[in-house]
Amino acid sequence: MSAAPQSDPRRPRIPTWVRVVSVVAAGVVILSVTATLTGQYQLTSRGTTQAAVLLLLPILFAGLGGLWSERAGVINIGLEGMMILGTWGAAWAGYQWGPWAAVLGGIVLGALGGLLHAVATVTFNVNHIVSGVAITLLGMGVTKYLSTLLFEPISQNPRQSPRVEAFNTFSVQPVADSLASVESQQRVLLSDVAGLLGGLLSGLTPLVIIGFALVPISYLVLWRTRFGLRLRSCGENPVAAESLGVKVVTYKYVGVVISGALAGLGGAALTLNPGQLGYLEGQTGGRGYIGLAAMIFGNWRPGGLLAGSALFGYVDGVQLRAGGEAVHGLLYGATILAVGLAVVWVARRRWRAALIAAVAGAVVYGVYYSIDTVPREFAAYAPQLVTLLVLAVASQRLRPPAAIGLEYRRGEGD
Amino acid sequence: MRIRRGFVLAAAVLTSALVVVGCARDTGTTQPAGGGGTNAGACARNSAPPAPAGGAASAAPAQPNADASGLKVGVAFDIGGRGDASFNDAAGAGLDRAISQLGLAKANTKELTAGPNESEDAAATRLRQLVSDGYNPIIAVGFKYATALKTVATESPNTKFAIVDDSSVDLPNVTPLVFAEEQGSFLVGVAAALKTQTCKIGFVGGVEQPLIQKFQAGYVQGAKAVAPNIQVDVDYLTPAGDFTGFSDPAKGQVVATGQLDSGADVIYHAAGASGQGVFQAVKAAGKSAIGVDSDQYNIPGLADVKDVIITSMLKRVDVAVFDYLNAAAAGNLSTLPKTFDLKVDGVGYATSGGKVDDIAAQLDAYKAAIISGAIKVGTAPTS
Repeated sequence: MSAAPQSDPRRPRIPTWVRVVSVVAAGVVILSVTATLTGQYQLTSRGTTQAAVLLLLPILFAGLGGLWSERAGVINIGLEGMMILGTWGAAWAGYQWGPWAAVLGGIVLGALGGLLHAVATVTFNVNHIVSGVAITLLGMGVTKYLSTLLFEPISQNPRQSPRVEAFNTFSVQPVADSLASVESQQRVLLSDVAGLLGGLLSGLTPLVIIGFALVPISYLVLWRTRFGLRLRSCGENPVAAESLGVKVVTYKYVGVVISGALAGLGGAALTLNPGQLGYLEGQTGGRGYIGLAAMIFGNWRPGGLLAGSALFGYVDGVQLRAGGEAVHGLLYGATILAVGLAVVWVARRRWRAALIAAVAGAVVYGVYYSIDTVPREFAAYAPQLVTLLVLAVASQRLRPPAAIGLEYRRGEGD
Repeated sequence: MRIRRGFVLAAAVLTSALVVVGCARDTGTTQPAGGGGTNAGACARNSAPPAPAGGAASAAPAQPNADASGLKVGVAFDIGGRGDASFNDAAGAGLDRAISQLGLAKANTKELTAGPNESEDAAATRLRQLVSDGYNPIIAVGFKYATALKTVATESPNTKFAIVDDSSVDLPNVTPLVFAEEQGSFLVGVAAALKTQTCKIGFVGGVEQPLIQKFQAGYVQGAKAVAPNIQVDVDYLTPAGDFTGFSDPAKGQVVATGQLDSGADVIYHAAGASGQGVFQAVKAAGKSAIGVDSDQYNIPGLADVKDVIITSMLKRVDVAVFDYLNAAAAGNLSTLPKTFDLKVDGVGYATSGGKVDDIAAQLDAYKAAIISGAIKVGTAPTS
């Protein structure tokens, strides 16, 4: 999804979809080779993919929330708080009227958090970080109070809601079953693809569909409609936008409220997770912040943030399901990736990048060779480490909206 | 030109892919989800140890109830406080029992509760407040109070303190109330090994720290005592220092599903509220689970998953708190056991639901062997 406008003019530009497809294909091949050579078949199993989808979903919603707010020029570090509000709202509506009400409840409560953030930052020009932190603290406090008030009489526990009915899961049949049979044959590549795809097509809930659908929808709305152009212009240069008649304050409000609603939806996804009975104090566990990191990883773009949250979800899923040995296997995959990149860059005559990739590959392989399993302490933070690495390498090319976090007053451009 | 090169490349990739796809892996069809890596046929089980001679297995005699009407008791709860359906509630129950059985006046008790992620300072302030209000003895619930308690207990040498789940504060006026979790875990490990059909069981720990490793060590030892070649899948949700592992059911569910997919059919969790996720995963797969700390079969919030809970490892914080208050009222703390273990009913296993009734004889035999000292249970994982 990343458009590289500064790319070499001598080369014809490769269409975006071709690049996306080839990146995904390369990833699958690397995973397949790794699984085959290291014997860590969990890397591409259906169960791992399902776990990854479950784990990435709240992060994806939070990341999309961050996207909408930050594209409108408002830093939203309060995603975590809006997500907490969402978990509570989802549980409160959900235990009374079922899962769809839970989705709605999460959205409404999250949007309220977003509205508060908009009032503070857009109308009163409060520092965005300060307001965001305050909303996170407020979210924790308010939900604690409300759940003591409303949940404790029913659940006998102030930190937990009564049981919320979850969505029934479904699979895309008959594709899912045939993929399962292919996977069980353990044929190189074919079974890996079947495992990865099978996990995506079975054990689904409507929320998974909504989550994946919101990525292209966000892209289309923000980049392909007049509304989206105007909203993004508020994040790039609100004074210029205003001079062209854009109602900057309104657009910022809309962006931040939608952001809160998406974060709240993430909270609902967490409450309706198959392993969950409902609301539980502290269940977000920083996923709002991770969503923000995934968005930055994705260069403030929907496709990129999907990749970022998939990375978090996948590595976390592998680590939780199969432990340090499987993460150890991923090191092998990282080596292949580094060598592949080195080859590509040599072909493009980018010697320095190629050298760095080759050295990195050698180092990772050295680590792989010298240890048998990644210590659990490292394995648990593997997604964070990978993100740090990627950001360190790619930060030169990241480009946040130009006017993000800046104060804006109506009419100040006169 | 470029396009033709692209076609050549694509053709080459496709051909090689087709060649590769043709190869099956050596492991054949045994690998993926379901039944992988089990050894059901070879699950030899040892018989239970003989009952020790002389009836040494009987529990130690309880101390007579003392009169606590003169005591002013302060209790500092851990995060969550009363109503957490876990160990704060258990400590509260011990206090309630002291009120009803020892003549302790309710007006003479004070309860304070910790907030999440608070500083050491806030904990110390809470304890100091109880001291300055004249409460004596004061019970700190949870190892999080250890550092704060050390400071405050040094400042007020004339006040008696007790701390649940920690033995690191070595002061004359501090009584540690610690439990032999490994002994209770040993017994549920025995139950898991007797109940498994696949000879593979699982353990899900919340946070990988020494306290939870005690649960793991006892469980694994107990399972291996019954079935020496049993496989035990051990997983933790978060590493030491990251306490979200106790409140993240989503992760609990993923980890438990992973263990179930690899063939485990009984899973023991020591993961606090994350255990909900474990129970849900186990219920979805129709296998068995073992609860922790309190009798989780009877917890209202878990009512819809209780049919998979075959037993729970009980940690009787209520017994410890009651015994401590009783001893404090009698003015003789030396009668308290160093560790609340099986002998004094400080730990045990739950029988609610009747799912372990058929193996009660074996469980009691192991219990007797631990009490008599014939079996020593380790507190640290061996591997």
